[in-house]
Amino acid sequence: MSALDGVKAAVLLFVAAVVQVAILAQVHVLGGVPDIVLVSLVGVALLRGSVTGAVGGFYAGLLVDSAALGELGLTSLLLTIAGYWIGRYGETTGRDRTHAPFLSVAVVTVLYALGVLVVRFVLGEPAPAGAVLRGLGPAILMNLALAAPVYALVRRLLRPLDRDELSTEVQLLG
Amino acid sequence: MLASSVQRSRPERYPSKARAALVRRIVLTVLVLGALTLLTISFRSPTAGALHDAQGLASSALRPFQIAAARIARPFRDAYDYVDGLASARSENARLERELRQMRKAYLASQSKAEKADELEKLLHYEQSLTFPRDFRPVNASVISFPGGPFSRQIVIAAGSSSGIRVNSPVVNGDGLVGRVTNVFPHSAVVTLLTDSQSYVAARDVQTGVRGIIHPGQGGTLILDQVSKERPVRRNDKVVTDGTRDPRYPDLYPYGIPIGVVSSVGISDTASFLQVQVEPFADFGSLDSVAALVPIKRK
Repeated sequence: MSALDGVKAAVLLFVAAVVQVAILAQVHVLGGVPDIVLVSLVGVALLRGSVTGAVGGFYAGLLVDSAALGELGLTSLLLTIAGYWIGRYGETTGRDRTHAPFLSVAVVTVLYALGVLVVRFVLGEPAPAGAVLRGLGPAILMNLALAAPVYALVRRLLRPLDRDELSTEVQLLG
Repeated sequence: MLASSVQRSRPERYPSKARAALVRRIVLTVLVLGALTLLTISFRSPTAGALHDAQGLASSALRPFQIAAARIARPFRDAYDYVDGLASARSENARLERELRQMRKAYLASQSKAEKADELEKLLHYEQSLTFPRDFRPVNASVISFPGGPFSRQIVIAAGSSSGIRVNSPVVNGDGLVGRVTNVFPHSAVVTLLTDSQSYVAARDVQTGVRGIIHPGQGGTLILDQVSKERPVRRNDKVVTDGTRDPRYPDLYPYGIPIGVVSSVGISDTASFLQVQVEPFADFGSLDSVAALVPIKRK
């Protein structure tokens, strides 16, 4: 990944983190909250791979935790893993698939919510599983609604890489 | 033929694919360990330390961007609130007129009682703990971060220790009690809302003097707990903070901050206490600005 791409991805995730904390955190629909940071990270990781996804997730998590004055490291931990996993999916079986951003957003929304629940439970913090599960459906729908425009924007900013530039451990036949 | 030696190219120590995989795993491991380290330090010392200070600096640096984003979004929020308010304007107007009539009567009655109480206090040289709002000055601050999702019942306000705010400072808005400060930075502070599952406030029914503990209930309501079944609590009674009862364990909240109004009172054979549901005065879903209460030092 070029340095310019890195700057573009950093600016994109910065804007997403600010918008999330200052605006979207207030949008509660049937218990669900949209997460533009997660959706932007999906775009960056799918287009630039697992290492960029993991680094982007760590950076975005730090921004969110700093802006919201939350427990530093919690969001970073989960977004790092999410970014890495989406990146691997993009490098391997999700490569060139039209449905990849939407599938990734839906799956990662569920896994991220469950991840927060598990980490908070382990830390002995309140972990309201019922409220999380109730809000999960609306959160998936809102994130899916964000996925198309955000992915289009990320694709405009970060040109999709050629096959040679991506990991080639898995060769798609179909 | 089989016995002849075949020249093979010397294998690379790390072929490019294997090296890429190795780099990938190292990056992931380093980042996960870094996040876990931050989480551990942050969790062990949430209100002090170098990391706490660094987080405060980062928050201050991010604040202008957050305020700019909130300003851009404000017209859209206002438009939504306007349309939303129109739908219930007629019924709300009738309710407010009814409340205003009741308040006028109550105000006249309480004003004469308050004057008499002041005179009696002076005569008796009566000493009492801090009361709201007389012994406090408000530090008004805008809300710069909101609770996102079901985990967080905290907001971040744009004022901190440089304005006199301390950990446990009570926080109110125009309607009533909002919560208390649980973490403070030089120019910002974290406020844990009354709806947080860890929030407990000593409270009293203004009309009957019955005391209890306020904690969050289902669906954004509050519960006035620990109220004996024999004590009278009625629907529409006002609930305020109780203030310090035991000098050894001073209450975080002074006496007299409005909390809410009793919306229902239930009694059952199996429950040990009355089931009193309280509708909070403060709307926790639309907090734009709040005031942290800082005690005024009197001689």
